[in-house]
Amino acid sequence: MDRSRRFEYKRMSVREALIELKDLSELMVDLAYSSVLFDSKELAQEVVELDERVDNLVFILNVSTILATRDIEEAESLSGVIEVGSAADDISNAAADVANIVIRGTGIHPLVKEALRQIKKQLSRIEVKQGSMLIGKKITELDTISKTGVNTMALRRDKTWIVSPETEQIKMGDVLIVRGMQEGTEWLRIAAEAGV
Amino acid sequence: MDEQLFQKIVKNLVELKDTSELMMDLAYSSLLLGSRELAEEVLRLEDHIDNIHHEFQIFILSYGGAEKEAESRLGLIEIGEVAERIADASADIAKVALRGLEPHPVMELVISEAEETVVKATVSKNSLLVGRALKESKVAERTGMWILVVLRGGSWLRPTSETIIQSGDVLIATGYAKGVDDFKKIAGEEAKRKRPRISLRRRPGR
Repeated sequence: MDRSRRFEYKRMSVREALIELKDLSELMVDLAYSSVLFDSKELAQEVVELDERVDNLVFILNVSTILATRDIEEAESLSGVIEVGSAADDISNAAADVANIVIRGTGIHPLVKEALRQIKKQLSRIEVKQGSMLIGKKITELDTISKTGVNTMALRRDKTWIVSPETEQIKMGDVLIVRGMQEGTEWLRIAAEAGV
Repeated sequence: MDEQLFQKIVKNLVELKDTSELMMDLAYSSLLLGSRELAEEVLRLEDHIDNIHHEFQIFILSYGGAEKEAESRLGLIEIGEVAERIADASADIAKVALRGLEPHPVMELVISEAEETVVKATVSKNSLLVGRALKESKVAERTGMWILVVLRGGSWLRPTSETIIQSGDVLIATGYAKGVDDFKKIAGEEAKRKRPRISLRRRPGR
């Protein structure tokens, strides 16, 4: 018998779900390419986990749409929502496939690394260690701290992902996925790892 | 492989990747903002990216390499494929946006003038934006509009704060509807009296 995954339904507006799918799609694609550039199985693993989250979100989207459909006219107009969910799924699968190239460990062609190196704004994965000066600070303060403009794309706390965080206060053990110029992210990495 | 060919393929791959991600951004935005313009831009990019991808595949297939490199070259082909899949999915999203989504309580997609909209403006040669980097012009601070993409001589650019605007650039921006007139003024276009309305009603005959 096939092992099927249990999806969890949560009440959510279609618009909210679409916004989250957009953020997740972008994050996953960025992370996947970053995992290639840094040859990082860790980053690649994050992508695979996010893929599951997208699957769950698409499930919620589909259920919400089905529940809302009462007649043919509604079916016609809401069918678009199902198609968008399917497209988002395609994107996340594509990103996961890139991540799997890294996990497979068969080596990345130098052409790819060179192409990715040319991207000016890179993604970095930063783990907040004990005693770090970042602990207790809000995400919105990070931009000022790093001076060269850093955008925190996502925050992972144990198993929970918060995409596009703003008001969250940083805790020890948090993993931040940030994007910005190298100086800014390097500075942030130092701040995350050292106490003051 | 000679250095020149290497750099050529790299440039091609960068364009492939960038274009696919631009399409993704624009496609989702076209849906959330109900923008026909953005959706049409995505479909134009679809043709463009097909050409780039084709070129990329021909490059990879035409350069001779040792057999032991085959595994990593396969990875290269797969990366190209991934960009194509992202582009195709983005085009699908844009097509849904073009079909028009009926305002429906569960969708909460009704957009009023107080909310977000998309605007397209051509930069005139007298505009204060010409010759300046975007971070200098502070467009977002002054108008509340964020430039998503710049069309310049048939190419699409994803702007950064360092991008220098040229006369003739077509700017596609998104932000609150009340910023539209300011944005057009700063670009050098005359603001029209009537504000553009984005309609989500289905086209007749569909």
